[in-house]
Amino acid sequence: MEKNRRARFSLSIEKRIPVLFVSPCVAVLLAVSIFPFLYSLWLSFNKWELGMGQRSPTFAWLNNYAHLFTDNRFWDSIENMAEVLIFGVGAQFLIGLGLALLLNRPFRGRRWVTTLFLLPMMICPVVVGCNWKMIYNYSYGPLNHILRIIGIGEGLNWLGSTHLALPSIIIADSWEWMPFMMIVLLAGLQSIPVELYEAAKVDGASGWQEFWYITLPSLKTIIIIAILIRMMDTFKLFDLVVLLTQGGPAGASETISYYNYLTGFKFFNMGYAASLAYIQLAVIIVIATFFLRSLRKGEGG
Amino acid sequence: MKMAAIKMFIGLVLVGCLILGGGSSFGQEVVTLTVIGDAGHNLKPFEWYAPIFKEEFGVELKVIGVPFGELYEKEKIEFVAQTGAFDICIVYPKFIGDFAGAGYLLNLDEYASKLGPRMPDVVPGYRDFYCKFGGKLYALPYDGDVLSLYYRKDLFENAEEKAAFKKEFGYELKAPATWDEYLDVAKFFNHKPGEKLAGKTLKTPFYGTAFYGQRDQIYAWWGNRFASMGGIYFNEETMKPAINSKAGVDALENMKAALPYCPPDVLAYGYEELKDIFLNGDAAMVIQWPCVGKKGADPKQSKIVGKIGLAPVPGIMKEGKVYSRALMPCGRVLAIPADSKHPWKAYQVIQWLAVVSSTADVSTPLTGLDPYRFSHFETPEAFEMFPTIEDAKVYLAGIKANMSSGYPEPPIPGSVEYIDALAVNITKALTGEKSSKQALDDAAKEWENITARFDVEKQRKLYQKLIAGWRAAGLWE
Repeated sequence: MEKNRRARFSLSIEKRIPVLFVSPCVAVLLAVSIFPFLYSLWLSFNKWELGMGQRSPTFAWLNNYAHLFTDNRFWDSIENMAEVLIFGVGAQFLIGLGLALLLNRPFRGRRWVTTLFLLPMMICPVVVGCNWKMIYNYSYGPLNHILRIIGIGEGLNWLGSTHLALPSIIIADSWEWMPFMMIVLLAGLQSIPVELYEAAKVDGASGWQEFWYITLPSLKTIIIIAILIRMMDTFKLFDLVVLLTQGGPAGASETISYYNYLTGFKFFNMGYAASLAYIQLAVIIVIATFFLRSLRKGEGG
Repeated sequence: MKMAAIKMFIGLVLVGCLILGGGSSFGQEVVTLTVIGDAGHNLKPFEWYAPIFKEEFGVELKVIGVPFGELYEKEKIEFVAQTGAFDICIVYPKFIGDFAGAGYLLNLDEYASKLGPRMPDVVPGYRDFYCKFGGKLYALPYDGDVLSLYYRKDLFENAEEKAAFKKEFGYELKAPATWDEYLDVAKFFNHKPGEKLAGKTLKTPFYGTAFYGQRDQIYAWWGNRFASMGGIYFNEETMKPAINSKAGVDALENMKAALPYCPPDVLAYGYEELKDIFLNGDAAMVIQWPCVGKKGADPKQSKIVGKIGLAPVPGIMKEGKVYSRALMPCGRVLAIPADSKHPWKAYQVIQWLAVVSSTADVSTPLTGLDPYRFSHFETPEAFEMFPTIEDAKVYLAGIKANMSSGYPEPPIPGSVEYIDALAVNITKALTGEKSSKQALDDAAKEWENITARFDVEKQRKLYQKLIAGWRAAGLWE
């Protein structure tokens, strides 16, 4: 009898030990991830104007989401974001792929060159923003100085023009994150079996055919993952906007995350800020699903 | 030399006070007060006088510095949550209505009657707009920001330039007194490379003027014009925005007219860019904060040392006289949260900073604090960074004149949002995306929505309370 009881006790301890080990992790996850996620979701259906000293939220049904449809600044910031995603991530991919192809060829000092190319990614984003602000300065910046030397007028109004402010941010962001694309694609290139190229050569394939029929299909998975990561990251573009333009001039470079920041932490309209955040999340999920689906299609094929 | 001797004497007296008065804190409970302010050199005085605060008032300070642009949100969150996290707050004055109106700040009138902050010595604009709410004292002065017109004295006094200006415009070249003159002077001094300025051929462009173009402060450069043309923020009876009035549109048109004489990237200009274009000697005049005058006298930061003149910001002619109003953006005041556990000790500290050490703190290049007391303006010898005492006098007289005609920022809850909506629309007019009238109508519409969200009645009461205080002080018509 006593023996049975002991056996049952030790069995129940054995069953509980894994729970005991997992529980701190679950508690931390609940506290820092699940609870804020659910709380902010609930908040997005509430009116909470901290700016007017409102101490607790009041339920506002779908008002915050309905307001999004009439908020021009929201739609403008979405449009700006789309430009950054298409042109910024697109440029990072194309330049990154080009550099990866170059660095995949053997030459003396290849390791050093690869390391040098990685430097922008290692610099603190705030420092990147400050540096580009100096580079873009119309009167004293080195970029316009070079343009003047080579005779391109008086230089370009990089940050003070509504047409160039967003492209300037895209250039700075691409400079910083292009190495990420490059290193990921380089790793992908180096994993392609050499035999495929040897066989293609035997079959008399040209360089372009090798690239189109071997390199690109072999890199497909890596390309999708790299573009997806950069898109999700770019969607949060904030630091360069704050440092270079503050979303100006006239909102020409206001991204969705910067507008969200203003709404939440400058205007203290917490409910609306939460709804903006959830719209962002929804868009990111749609993009991610699209990319992951193409990934699965690739696997199937 | 004389100044150094005075400073040494003051230092010896302070040390003597510490030694002799050391017993005064004997047995006195030492409490820790938490101070929050924008990080950097403006928090230095709290460090410098920490030993004195400990000996004199039994206070140890824990100083929290946060980035300049994040101070408001840090304070607001703690106030709303009533955490009692801070005992002394550096507050940007445009939030005084927001904080005092919601009851977050301690009324200091009772303490002021015990230990005087010498408020009659503070220039009225700064004292009544920024330290008081509804006529009651909620903060003590710390940093007296006001906008002033800086110009290139050497060029304005150049005989060749003077003659050419008179020939072109028919009146004497001088610091512009009106906004129309401002445009004339800006146009006159705007030169391309290869053109001549004061007898020398220019290698780089020279601009007639420049302004703060970034969205956080651009409204203040419009506001100088708006306020001098008789503009007000709201109709105090209805709380309807009044920014799209004729004064607002005329102000924006004048600003637009100045654009061709500014650097092409002026809409990206913040404080640093605006300071640099002037101190590098590449612009004839700018409207800027007082610290630019001090930096302009430092050869390490300025290429135009001794060549800077300072004048009131331009205005309009009204009954034969120039009427000008200088915006007072930024600035700093010292306040005590209503939930501080040691308000009297906190008051003693801020009173020391606002009275005892204030002259030393606003006259040193080691802080960014600017003068605000009549006694500061009467102590030019303390401002040793100027090459001559005459230069210091010109600087102080200019700041005093502008502060005396100071005009406040919109100081009610939601001011950041009001200012942002206005700034975006001002920029849209300047880029040609909208007409001036359309831009200000749109801004007014956004202001109406903000007021409605914040509750029209609450905002109206707060605004009326502020206006009543200003009117009682003779600062509002």
